[in-house]
Amino acid sequence: MGFTFQGDFVVKRKPEEVFDFLSDPSRFCPLLPDFEKMTATDASHFTVSLKVGIAHIRGTATVKMALEEAERPRSARYSGKGSVAGGTVEIGSGFELDAVPEGTRVRWRGTGQVFGQLASLAGGLLEPLARKNVQRLIDSLQTALAQA
Amino acid sequence: MSTQPPSSGTTGKGRWVGQPLRRREESRLVRGHGLFVDDYKLAGMVHLQFVRSPYAHARITHVDTSAAAASPGVLCVLTGEQVAARVNPFIEIGPGCDGKIVDLPMAVGKVRYQGEPVVAIVAETAADAADAADLVEVDYEPLEPVIDGEAAATSKSLLHEPLGSNVNWHSQFEYGEVDAAFRDAAYVVHIPRLHFHRFSSTPLETNVVIATWNLKEDTIHFLSTNSFPAFAVQFLSPALGVRIDQLHMESWDIGGGFGIKITSYPQMAVCALASKQLGGRPVKWVETRTEHMLASAHGNERTFLDTRVALDKNGVITAIDSRHIDDCGAYPRYEPLGCIIWAQVLPACYRFRNFRVDFSQVVTNKCPVGPNRGYSRMQHLWFIERCLDICGHELGIPTDEMRLRNYIRPDEFPYTTPNGCVYDSGNYPKMLELAKRLVNWDEWKKNQQIARAEGRWLGIGIGTTLDSGTNNFGQARIVNAHAPYSGQSKAAIVKLDIYGEVVVFMGSVPQGQGHETVAAQVVAEVLNIPPEMIAVKPGFDSLQNVYTGHTGTYASQFAVTGLSAIHGAAEKLRAELERLAAFALKAERAQLEFGAGKMGPEVRVRGTEKSINYWALANLVNVNNAELPQSMEDITLNCRYLYKAPFTVPDVEKKYGNLTLTYASQLHIAVIEVDRETFQPKILAYAAVDDCGTQINPRIVAGQMHGATAHGIGAAIMETCEYSPEGNMLTATFSDYTPITAVNMPELLCGDIESPSPFSYNGAKGMGEGGAAPVHTVCAALQDALFSTGVLIRDSFHTGDRIFEAVRRAESGADRGVRVERRG
Repeated sequence: MGFTFQGDFVVKRKPEEVFDFLSDPSRFCPLLPDFEKMTATDASHFTVSLKVGIAHIRGTATVKMALEEAERPRSARYSGKGSVAGGTVEIGSGFELDAVPEGTRVRWRGTGQVFGQLASLAGGLLEPLARKNVQRLIDSLQTALAQA
Repeated sequence: MSTQPPSSGTTGKGRWVGQPLRRREESRLVRGHGLFVDDYKLAGMVHLQFVRSPYAHARITHVDTSAAAASPGVLCVLTGEQVAARVNPFIEIGPGCDGKIVDLPMAVGKVRYQGEPVVAIVAETAADAADAADLVEVDYEPLEPVIDGEAAATSKSLLHEPLGSNVNWHSQFEYGEVDAAFRDAAYVVHIPRLHFHRFSSTPLETNVVIATWNLKEDTIHFLSTNSFPAFAVQFLSPALGVRIDQLHMESWDIGGGFGIKITSYPQMAVCALASKQLGGRPVKWVETRTEHMLASAHGNERTFLDTRVALDKNGVITAIDSRHIDDCGAYPRYEPLGCIIWAQVLPACYRFRNFRVDFSQVVTNKCPVGPNRGYSRMQHLWFIERCLDICGHELGIPTDEMRLRNYIRPDEFPYTTPNGCVYDSGNYPKMLELAKRLVNWDEWKKNQQIARAEGRWLGIGIGTTLDSGTNNFGQARIVNAHAPYSGQSKAAIVKLDIYGEVVVFMGSVPQGQGHETVAAQVVAEVLNIPPEMIAVKPGFDSLQNVYTGHTGTYASQFAVTGLSAIHGAAEKLRAELERLAAFALKAERAQLEFGAGKMGPEVRVRGTEKSINYWALANLVNVNNAELPQSMEDITLNCRYLYKAPFTVPDVEKKYGNLTLTYASQLHIAVIEVDRETFQPKILAYAAVDDCGTQINPRIVAGQMHGATAHGIGAAIMETCEYSPEGNMLTATFSDYTPITAVNMPELLCGDIESPSPFSYNGAKGMGEGGAAPVHTVCAALQDALFSTGVLIRDSFHTGDRIFEAVRRAESGADRGVRVERRG
């Protein structure tokens, strides 16, 4: 079961400022919906714990993430793989930054793949939940960038 | 041992046989007094939980069980690697595998379907095991999943690399003069693709195993829900490296099976290994519902490609040419038997003599298949029914008339099919006539005209099908010439116990079929006593010596093989009792009669007051035997009979021979309306006519008919094992799989005819699987309802959204998927 979401928004920040924010896991990860904690392994590898809950399936997802690509000030890309009760989740999120007169246009793309019982147990609920959480992430990101 | 039916058979209705007695099992089972495997709480028993793969196809790169092993209550942890070091791979039925497919109880190196066991945790309690399972860390490297059976053959992603492809089995079947029939045809109908979907069974009880490896005796005791234990031991013995006599198999009450519990031996092996590691403590594994849906066994999925049907000018089919791809999931296990079992019903109920099929079976990253009710035949019968139905519609021949023109005629039985199977008896036109009367055909035809004038989609469909029972295991030689199987047999013991009780051991594995009741009816008939005076011991216990390598409950055969064995044993007992009574009563055997007197079952001298009851007769043999003359020393009152079905080994080269002993038939008619707003199909009327030969117990037959019909209707419009392109099974819970319930069932208008089988001692034919008649029937009704919209019913599964898609596709002008070549 896979999802892909994408969109863009404009913030009143220079691309370098936006890039520095997005490529810093300690600033980016707390914006993830239901973030609990983050443990860094090295500069580009870290583990994030998220509270998750879909219908009666509730628990903590431990997602091993990596900053796969960071090209200042043009793009950043994260990938992650984690386990949660009843399944495995693979996620990816990428950002491409363009300078525009108002500041920076952030073109974002998020992908998700769910494997295991989670997909069958919560099949119909996953897509709207993912859509909601992606929107929450983007909203948080815009707010945080505006305040940064 | 005998290959002939016992001489004094009780054919037709008798005092007890043929009567609709209530099932004697009902009270015990309905009141909760059954004894199922999960009811056993053995001393020192521990619990096993599997950690299963979330991926359909992935390499296992790392397994960390340290946290799980340290978890409270955990006694041992077994990885796939550890299990592989202690067992041999399971034998493969198919030819030429030679290690190319390595089937182990758990995944080693890579996983091949979602839900495949990767780690086993054993703990003091089931909860401890479940908690520990959450702590196991497995890293996977995903591989490209092979989900589409049609694409599997050419996929570069291989499930079993040494096999060199994903094709597990392939062969050509050809009978008659196919090319000549097409050359001479008046019409040739081309059907590029038909697809029979994957579904399963939903028994009330899932798979359960308790394994105890007795280290002192070096024996393994299995209490399980396996419905074919005599088959399971043939896999377990070489895998575990023990002799078959070291395996003690028991199966008692089972809450439904439908065939898919035959392939539970991998889990049985893991439980045994865990027990051995724990010094012989009993290890119990209880499958959850989701595990059952995800990873026990599904029915075979099959695609029919490039089909051509030749017909004469009257719409009589003269030849079929096609290419079939069967999808058996990740491991063959019971396969490739399904690659030949369909041939038991090669022409279905029809007279065509020319047939050619290119048959392949592929492996895919889905749950392995098992012999699900109607196994392999239903897919083929559905294919033939679709061909017939599509041809009828395309040529403008009414569906009932189309069938009448093509049915095998009543006077042609016993009928030898193009591939050498012998259909024993039947009368399909009579069944059609009865079904039409039951459903009120003429009235619905008028209603249909009115409905169509109003723009409603109302269809009337017929499904004619077969339930071939008592299979000849010699057909395994056609898929593997070296397979050491052939024939069919069953054993039974009927004895007089020390104090004269009549006790029947039958070694079958009933899961709701009423074996106790019909066994008592048959013995009661032979001994002329009420069935209540007969104790029947159901279930399978390998220590009872009442089984053969074929013993189990599968393939619609108990009424033929099981009852033949019981009848034979009862006749032997009767003969011994007669000899004893003649001695004791100083009478001629011809003067004696059997019955029940004031002192229980007895033998008496006809026309006199002289009699001896069973207690006294048993006493003569078991307790007071010094009085017996030497000529009676062979009498044991413990009579075992081995029934051997009259089969020969098929011609492997020609793929020719009799593959089945009896052919029950079913003819269903459904009236269905598709809602034009929601596209939901609704069954407005449903008639089901069955012919299983002589009925031993009509009440049980009716129950089997209702069950099989419900299963088929569920399969047609509610139940599917759906996979995402990544290999996630999307219907692994009841809320997604939506198994049919009584609420979803239409009222069934049931009828039956009896065409006694000439090949069974009692005229009975095996029944219960039902040939998936509702799947054929629902599809035919939907075809009738939607033909005018341009929809061709190409799939066996039809929910509202699928019908919506089909109608939209037709409305968009997409190719309907059928072409008629008219010659002259």
